[in-house]
Amino acid sequence: MKASRIISVIVFLSVLGLIIYFTGGKWARTHVNYITATGDHPLNCLSCHLYTQKSGFIYKLVNKKYLSPFNLAVSKDGSRLYVVAQEDNSLLVVDPQKRKVLNRISVGNLPHSVILTNDGQKAYVSNQWSDNVSVIDLASAKVIDTLNTGNGPAGLSLSADGKFLYVVDSYSSNISVIDLNTGEERKRFNSGNNPTGAELSPDGKTLYVTSRRALIAPYGETIETELTVVDEGIQRIRDRRNIESAYMMENVAFTPTGDMAMITMIRPKNLVPSIQVEQGWMMTYGLTIIEQKENGRVIQLLLDEPNAYYSDPFDIVITPDGKKAFISHSGVNTISVVNIDSVRSLISKSSPEQLNSYSNNLGISSRYVIKRIKTGADPKGLALSSDGRLLYVAEQLEDRISVINTESLETVGSIKLGGPRIVTVARQGRRLFNNSGHTFQNQFDCYTCHPDMHEDGLVYNMASKDMGRNLTNTQSLRDIGDTPPYKWNGKNQTVYKQDGMRFSTVLTRTEQFNYKDLDALTAYIITGIPYPPNLQYNPNGELTESQLRGKAMFERTKDSYGNVIPENNRCITCHTPPYYTNLKMAYVKTLAVTDDSMLFDTPHLNNIYASPPYLHDGRAATLEEIWTKYGTEDRHGRINDMTKNQLNDLVDYLKSLRAPTYDNIVTKKFHAKN
Amino acid sequence: MRKTLQKNSLQKAVAVILCGICSVAVINSQPIAEKSTVKTNPKDDIKPMPVYGHWKNFTTKEGLPNDHAYCVRIDGKRVLVGTHEGMAVYEDGKWTTYTTKDGLAHNGVVSIDVSELTGDVWIGTLGGLNRWSAGKFETFNQLNSGLPNDLVYCVYCDGKDVWTATGGGAGHYDTYTKQWEIFTEKNAPMHEPWTYGVSAGDGKIFIAAWGGGVIEYTTKTKQFKDYTDPDGEMEIDLLPDDGPVHDITTGTTYGDGLLWVSTYFGLSSYDGTHWKGYFDHDSGLASNFINFVRAKGPVVFICSDKGLSSTNGKSWVTYKKNDKNGDGVAIIKNYGRIDDSTVDKTTKELPMAPCVAHNFVIGVDADDQFLWVATEGGVSRGELLK
Repeated sequence: MKASRIISVIVFLSVLGLIIYFTGGKWARTHVNYITATGDHPLNCLSCHLYTQKSGFIYKLVNKKYLSPFNLAVSKDGSRLYVVAQEDNSLLVVDPQKRKVLNRISVGNLPHSVILTNDGQKAYVSNQWSDNVSVIDLASAKVIDTLNTGNGPAGLSLSADGKFLYVVDSYSSNISVIDLNTGEERKRFNSGNNPTGAELSPDGKTLYVTSRRALIAPYGETIETELTVVDEGIQRIRDRRNIESAYMMENVAFTPTGDMAMITMIRPKNLVPSIQVEQGWMMTYGLTIIEQKENGRVIQLLLDEPNAYYSDPFDIVITPDGKKAFISHSGVNTISVVNIDSVRSLISKSSPEQLNSYSNNLGISSRYVIKRIKTGADPKGLALSSDGRLLYVAEQLEDRISVINTESLETVGSIKLGGPRIVTVARQGRRLFNNSGHTFQNQFDCYTCHPDMHEDGLVYNMASKDMGRNLTNTQSLRDIGDTPPYKWNGKNQTVYKQDGMRFSTVLTRTEQFNYKDLDALTAYIITGIPYPPNLQYNPNGELTESQLRGKAMFERTKDSYGNVIPENNRCITCHTPPYYTNLKMAYVKTLAVTDDSMLFDTPHLNNIYASPPYLHDGRAATLEEIWTKYGTEDRHGRINDMTKNQLNDLVDYLKSLRAPTYDNIVTKKFHAKN
Repeated sequence: MRKTLQKNSLQKAVAVILCGICSVAVINSQPIAEKSTVKTNPKDDIKPMPVYGHWKNFTTKEGLPNDHAYCVRIDGKRVLVGTHEGMAVYEDGKWTTYTTKDGLAHNGVVSIDVSELTGDVWIGTLGGLNRWSAGKFETFNQLNSGLPNDLVYCVYCDGKDVWTATGGGAGHYDTYTKQWEIFTEKNAPMHEPWTYGVSAGDGKIFIAAWGGGVIEYTTKTKQFKDYTDPDGEMEIDLLPDDGPVHDITTGTTYGDGLLWVSTYFGLSSYDGTHWKGYFDHDSGLASNFINFVRAKGPVVFICSDKGLSSTNGKSWVTYKKNDKNGDGVAIIKNYGRIDDSTVDKTTKELPMAPCVAHNFVIGVDADDQFLWVATEGGVSRGELLK
């Protein structure tokens, strides 16, 4: 009796288990299929639910804090390296001979660049997420002062007499001039769009500041990106050169004789339907060369090869003898070595027509690129020893500095900076994000169109069933884990789907990510891309009077005449905090004749000030234009009753929106709907 | 009602003036009869009034795009002139014109100022505001930015801040934060949003508000104070020196501790305590109908419909062109106002051949050597007589 009862229980539990197993498995299969938009992704709960946690114990358990070296400088005697550890918010003092980190100096948030004074006594570190520069006494290895700057300080340069510090404000698009005697900002110039690099000419008379984003222009016009030229003697802008068909001009270097300036750049083909990836029809990479003489020419030379692309050129340095230039390509983990005499020879022997054609000539690089040197993951900043014999490379996603002999052009060593030894899933995802290895002929990677994991400000003509239709304004990837669906047309319900099969079909034109890599990439995108603080418009959460009035306009239910605004035409209805999207599709009468008939995904609005142009096809150059030029029918919110003051208040409020994390708002965990 | 009628008629008059004035530019290369300097009363410890001569006039014949010149601004070695058909730049003896084809917001350029900090040129037009920096034009208008209105009558750079007087209120643009503020009758003590002039000095912004007198804005405290004509009379200045001579103001300028306010009914000065009025009948002012004022240190230049006047409050020099030919005269009065307790109340006339291009004067600027004048008949340049 007792045995039979036990058997009955076992049978019952077995049947129950089988039922749960089969029905549960079926549910799990359906769920995973929905999430990944595939039919064969392994049923591994951990791959999704473990590594996509954005906070809490599990997040801390499966993630590590890396150093992420970004830029670096070498002391004149070559005995010290000063390495900006971006994710560690520090400057590392390194002995390159002993290959040892000697000191760690805490600086501001997300440090970007470091520069040393001529006497070698001080270092200046720009803190991109703190809007200041740390002044470091190198003898004591202590921060002795903090200099306020514009928004997003990045590149740095000292004036010829060492009395002024030029700071490139990358977010607010300015150049701050800081008097180092007083520590005060003396003046602030307007610069190109999203500037970064700064370099003083050898004669100390001219400062070049490069820009990353192109100037805002209507779709169809050739893109242009500004090179801002400062007359250092009188501290005035001398020239604003528009460099055609180029953007992401990260850094610049002058030859020692000062006859040429060489700027890293990308040439995007965003105006061409992205139906053909080969032969440089999406992106090409190279140098913009500017002759330093009256009426000096602007020449663009590619660093790519016919069947191999060298994506995401970042830094450039030139040896003291002026013979070689080294360019880091963070997308392909490579350093290109350019023979500068060969460049000079090519330029001098070429007709203007030939020079013009070189900007699209994938084979020309064989005339001057003399070596490709492999590096670790994501090479960024470069620094030469003062004698030019050693090149140091900051391998951002390797937490390592590699050392290259500039004569033999071989890697002669590496310096581990002490970051975590293991590569977490999200870290691996970031490496994939930054690497073009998963694109046809290494043409581009996620980072190329989403620099800083944001967006590049361009409008693309993506491949679709009809060419020339459905123009797409690149969207930011910052903190998008909780804001599905994805794409302007909302077709992708999850990041998995966004980066899965479709990604390889439409964009990379090669094998799709394997599921392990797809899981890693997704984990990184969902968990690892925070918003920068909104220091320009909302530094501390306290809104200005204008922003408060704008908030009231944003949340209003009645118009200026007392009429009730229909619920679906109120700002707050579709743009619901904390991400200011209700995750739904909407029609705001912005459909263009070139668009298929569709609704558009309601975009999130945090840090929206940093994402011009606006609307799905980028037609609005500013936030104001969304309503003054393109919202005249009151379909994108009730707006036409507003006075100019009220519209200004509303725009001021929109610019104040920032990531919920800065307001300690706990967001809902990501759950894709099934 | 009377105020409204007065205002409307004046607005129309200004519009007509700006858009349809006939030009009579006369160039005459005859040398002028010169005298040395004009001294003020010996008891006054102030510098002598500068007198300008050796006039040279520029019209379309010399390269201006249009003889209707609305404003002029000296920028180092070059001179920027706003005309009805674009901005003309005089440099190395040549004129170069910039229009909408080059990126100008509108060809009607009515105000120009230069940032001392950055060297950027800010241009107020009848269709928006431009920043002209190292040869590149950037446009701010009411559709793409927080600019209050596209009619930008006046632009003024005050350190990192750019102030505009527009048809839709005064606008403040902070070039550091890139944010706009608008001041209208909704949030400032104005009669209506129409503003004509703006200037700065002593930590304050002075807005010439149509029908609202002068709006003083203290930048530190962000507090407003308005100055209107206390007697409330629109036809006459009933009580002298009780405030601005009129509520319909056309310009403000600050120099040497004095605020100068122009109206279509006379000129006022304010030292922070006392107001003082100047009219054509009791001073050296050429006309009560004043388009624009600009102070350069202790001297203020007053652009009127009947010539250009200048004063330091103690004496006057007014430049007028003859109606019949290109010659003219500098009229010198060694007193500030007829009721001042000065010894010398005589008027002297200094013949000038040629003189300013036209008596309808709209803009002026001066440096240590030259006086540039924008008139409806071209641009004039006078040399400081030693």
